[in-house]
Amino acid sequence: MKEAIRNTTTADRILFLLLIIASVAGLVYTREAFSLGSDVVVEVNGRPVYTLSLDTNREIVIDGSHGRTVLEIKNSKVRMKEADCNNQQCAKQGWISRGTIVCLPNRIVVIVGSGITKDIDAITG
Amino acid sequence: MTMTTFRKISLIILILLTAVFSCSPGKDSVYKKTMPLMDTIVSITVVAESSDTAEKAIEITFAQIGRFGDLINFYSDNSELAEINRNAGVHSVKVSPQTLDVIGKAVSAAEKSGGAFDPTIGPIVKLWDFLNKKKPAESEIVKALPLVNYKDILIDRADSTVFLKRKGMMIDLGGIAKGYAVDLAVESLKKEGILSGLVSIAGDIRTFGMKPDKRPWIIGIKNPRQTGEKDELVAKIRLSEKAISTSGDYERYFISEDKRYHHLLDPKTGMPASGCRSVSIVTDRAVDTDAFSTAIFILGAVKGMKVVKEMGMDAMIIDSSGTIHMTDAIKEKITLERSH
Repeated sequence: MKEAIRNTTTADRILFLLLIIASVAGLVYTREAFSLGSDVVVEVNGRPVYTLSLDTNREIVIDGSHGRTVLEIKNSKVRMKEADCNNQQCAKQGWISRGTIVCLPNRIVVIVGSGITKDIDAITG
Repeated sequence: MTMTTFRKISLIILILLTAVFSCSPGKDSVYKKTMPLMDTIVSITVVAESSDTAEKAIEITFAQIGRFGDLINFYSDNSELAEINRNAGVHSVKVSPQTLDVIGKAVSAAEKSGGAFDPTIGPIVKLWDFLNKKKPAESEIVKALPLVNYKDILIDRADSTVFLKRKGMMIDLGGIAKGYAVDLAVESLKKEGILSGLVSIAGDIRTFGMKPDKRPWIIGIKNPRQTGEKDELVAKIRLSEKAISTSGDYERYFISEDKRYHHLLDPKTGMPASGCRSVSIVTDRAVDTDAFSTAIFILGAVKGMKVVKEMGMDAMIIDSSGTIHMTDAIKEKITLERSH
């Protein structure tokens, strides 16, 4: 082995370097492809207004088209704590760790992770 | 190991790694955008080479859906549909080609389903208040029922007009317009050069092309008796070039005296249909899956399955006792969740 290392040329070293880069690139690529998607994106009227980490507990006040809503992030889960709207559907949905929370009267969409639940592309029903 | 062999092996590894990464689906990515439109949530997912291409196609498509939604909004005084309803029994109303087309398709679905789907259910829909859990009086339903009859919609394609024969009649396209809009959206995306994607409007979904990994799209079907985050789905289905819609008794409902009152109203009784918990329909176009998921729900599992087969569609029906009925072809595409 020592003899093999001693016999290396510059071309060999470049080759080893390329191999290391390829391996590291592979790791990065795999992480990207299987990203856990820990971000919380809040959109109002289709425009992103907040991008938040799922790892930090906090409450955010969002001004929607209808009134004030309060989003809470706690223990890597998200819920709409308060909503100034008549149907309260978003608040009733409770805590989620992936997927979307929607407040239609306020035109607010909260996307947790990639917005897609589990290994599916959309939900019917 | 000699140096030559070591070099050869290293070179082979490098070539293989290069091949793997250059062949991996790095070029096309999946882009998804969500927008509140048509009083619901519209999600568009596309496979594109760049975010610019995806964004442009999606924005143009959102605008199209928005314009169509404005034409047929049952609850807006400014829509073409409101104009038709206001002038029921008075005179015909000139409408845009899209309004004419979707009303024509609604009448066609009503004919094919023997009136189980009926777009003139508007006067009954107006009586029910699911938000405030208010059930109408029987006398109100009896009074409104004679106004429900799709045969009294007169469409003049040459003049592009629609006329409702009797005063008080109202068209409500809630059971078909979202599916129609999904089809519009898919055509718009294709026109913008998108070769594969998925459009979802409140659970009316149409897929086209494949995902970047060349696999079909996977759609989750909601569990009609969900108790928590873990049992959200009853099944998953693999789809490509197909649409799917699900109608369920859990979407808009209230429970009064141990009875579930939901929004899927039988045009013949004015009351919620009681034969099913949910109906999922799969066929080529979302306009059909939307209308027929409602129609089959009203008909119930036995009659509904007969119509589904006659129409050459696929279906998964969960009846009122929780039993799952499926057409043969859908069984190959569907995976039931463990809890079912």
